[in-house]
Amino acid sequence: MVRAAPRTVSTPPPAAGKAVRPEQTRARYPDLEGIAERDGGRIGYEVYGRGDPTIMFVPPWSIVHSRIWKAQIPDFARRHRVIAWDARGNGRSDRPREPEAHNDEALAADLLAVLDATHTDSAVLVGLSGAAVPAIIAASEHPERILGLVLVSPSVPLGRRRTERVVPFDEVLDTEEGWAKHNIHFWRRDFTSYLEFFFGEAFNEPHSTKSIEDAVGYGQSTDPETLGSTIYGTGPGADAFLAMCRLLRCPALVIHGDCDHISDVSRGIELSAAIPGARLELLHGSGHCPNARDPVRVNLLIREFIRSLRALP
Amino acid sequence: MEAGRARLPDRTWTRALARRRRALYLSSPIGLGHAQRDVSIADELRRIHPDLEIDWLAQHPVTTVLEARGERVHAMSAELASESAHITAESSEHDLNAFQAIRRMDEILVANFMVFHDVVETGAYDLVIGDEAWDVDHHLHENPDLKRTAFAWMTDFVGWLPMPSGGEREAFLTADYNAEMIEHVERFPRIRDRAIFVGEPDDIVPDDFGPGLPSIRDWTERHFAFSGYVTGFDPTPLIERREELRRELGYQSDERVVIVTVGGSGVGEALLRRVIDAYPDAARRVNGLRMIAVAGPRIDPALLKAPNGVEVRAYVPELYKHLAACDLAVVQGGLTTTMELAAARRPFLYFPLRNHFEQTRHVRHRLERYGAGRHMDYATSDPEVIAEAIAAEIDRPVDWRPVESDGAARAAALIAPLI
Repeated sequence: MVRAAPRTVSTPPPAAGKAVRPEQTRARYPDLEGIAERDGGRIGYEVYGRGDPTIMFVPPWSIVHSRIWKAQIPDFARRHRVIAWDARGNGRSDRPREPEAHNDEALAADLLAVLDATHTDSAVLVGLSGAAVPAIIAASEHPERILGLVLVSPSVPLGRRRTERVVPFDEVLDTEEGWAKHNIHFWRRDFTSYLEFFFGEAFNEPHSTKSIEDAVGYGQSTDPETLGSTIYGTGPGADAFLAMCRLLRCPALVIHGDCDHISDVSRGIELSAAIPGARLELLHGSGHCPNARDPVRVNLLIREFIRSLRALP
Repeated sequence: MEAGRARLPDRTWTRALARRRRALYLSSPIGLGHAQRDVSIADELRRIHPDLEIDWLAQHPVTTVLEARGERVHAMSAELASESAHITAESSEHDLNAFQAIRRMDEILVANFMVFHDVVETGAYDLVIGDEAWDVDHHLHENPDLKRTAFAWMTDFVGWLPMPSGGEREAFLTADYNAEMIEHVERFPRIRDRAIFVGEPDDIVPDDFGPGLPSIRDWTERHFAFSGYVTGFDPTPLIERREELRRELGYQSDERVVIVTVGGSGVGEALLRRVIDAYPDAARRVNGLRMIAVAGPRIDPALLKAPNGVEVRAYVPELYKHLAACDLAVVQGGLTTTMELAAARRPFLYFPLRNHFEQTRHVRHRLERYGAGRHMDYATSDPEVIAEAIAAEIDRPVDWRPVESDGAARAAALIAPLI
């Protein structure tokens, strides 16, 4: 039984016209920052801390940048070498407007380019949402380099697509209600309103104002045309993806909230069933980004997973 | 195995009845004041439980006070992210939106909670005491399964209040934060085994938590016990030996000593400069005026241009003694320093930081209840206004309500039954 989270009531928006505030103080700053280059593209990354195994935080959709992991990086950097990077389209990465730059295969290649640029032989991958497919492609093509997969709220071609989200992206619509905002014409008119809507859906747990504000700020670091080009990026079909998952040999953990309005929980359930031996941690009442909204729980689940890798022969 | 060969155990465990009583104490590093009151509560607790072992999970500037007293600072304290550096980063000229600053500290609070979690997982503590340890209180309520010890929560204010500059949005946000806190406490009464309000019910502001939410006072009276104010020192001997104290500290009987102190953060630099600028005018109005400006650890004294008659000091050990001996103090609106002055029965001018809801609302309410100090508005106080106020207040009769001196003992008596 899936319990609906209480909906957030309408809230006064942050003061309009205000400049984006400077980034708040971090709990920890990177030891190294760099740019990985691949096929003329530039991918910004950060490296923190030391200790095996290396943990790489894989970016989801470039509507956010690597600060989406701000509640994880300082904690894991106390014991591990940590790598975080920005998907092309946001953060310190470039802003390509060719859909091919945003294909799942391209993201997997970017992931490997960051591993190479940081001289990382192998790593545990922790990915949110759309990071799941590129992470699985990387694990399937380079099993020797991927020690484990943690897939939070995976957005994959399995399970139920939330039908309310299916709207024509590039047609002029006669409504702006709800998911009709997921439309390039609306983005060009009022991108910030779209971001507020999207992250209001993503963080539908009560009292999520700070997480929403943070994420809207990350979204304001990209632009409608760049983000629009990601919509046409392609990925594997359901059958090919399922076949790839069934052949995976690395340990995997799926974490999914049953109030996820962005990527239905059935996706995480089916994904964990498809990956041999994968563990499924269900979060009752959680939305799409439990790493930000329930960071303590998610951090402890990731720690437990990493400990279990050490116990392996 | 060879006899006598050293071997460290993989794990140790102590039988329950073979254990000493152990507490982990967290003292908020925002402002210098918590440290002083917390060590005096710790002393009172050790008086009740002589076998009590206290570890401190603490950061600068609290560690300065603890190390000076030889308290045990837990080694993992080094892994904490700095709250006070964040607060400094959030502030500008005599301005700190304290609500937004704490809100924008969320990353640091999660990181520090994870350190706390590791410490209590292995430390065999019976009790955690959190004096405005926002990380621990918030994340324990968010993760009630992680509670492993008794927990005593202490605070000197309840309720986030909006500042007018934040408009409708800030009013909405403070109400939402208050609502979450109320839901946390009412849903999980088992998290705070003891909640102590450092003060009396009359110190609580008359506001509501927000639209449709309870009165702060009614709710706090239902959910907290009251320790009275905790001064961190007994003011009585200082008041009685004031003349002697002045001689010890090198203040002449014909001098009128003004001490300017702006706390441990860098926020106070603008006020410090402005009060120093008021000195020449004030010295014309008050014979024998001597001004001592305390820069604190985060302001470079060399950068403050002081005229003759003003001494700038980086750090003054046992500042409270100087405050007890002075003729007038000029301070920010922080609770600890203003209440130390009220307790030591010295006149003072206080300038709450702009947009700081605690200083402009909670602390001011409390000081007005005692009738101590003169509230000053930084925005409208030029050096001339400050000089006038110094001259007017320096001879003010000390007629306000005495500050209770048994707060630490009362707080300890409330906490002690948990161990």
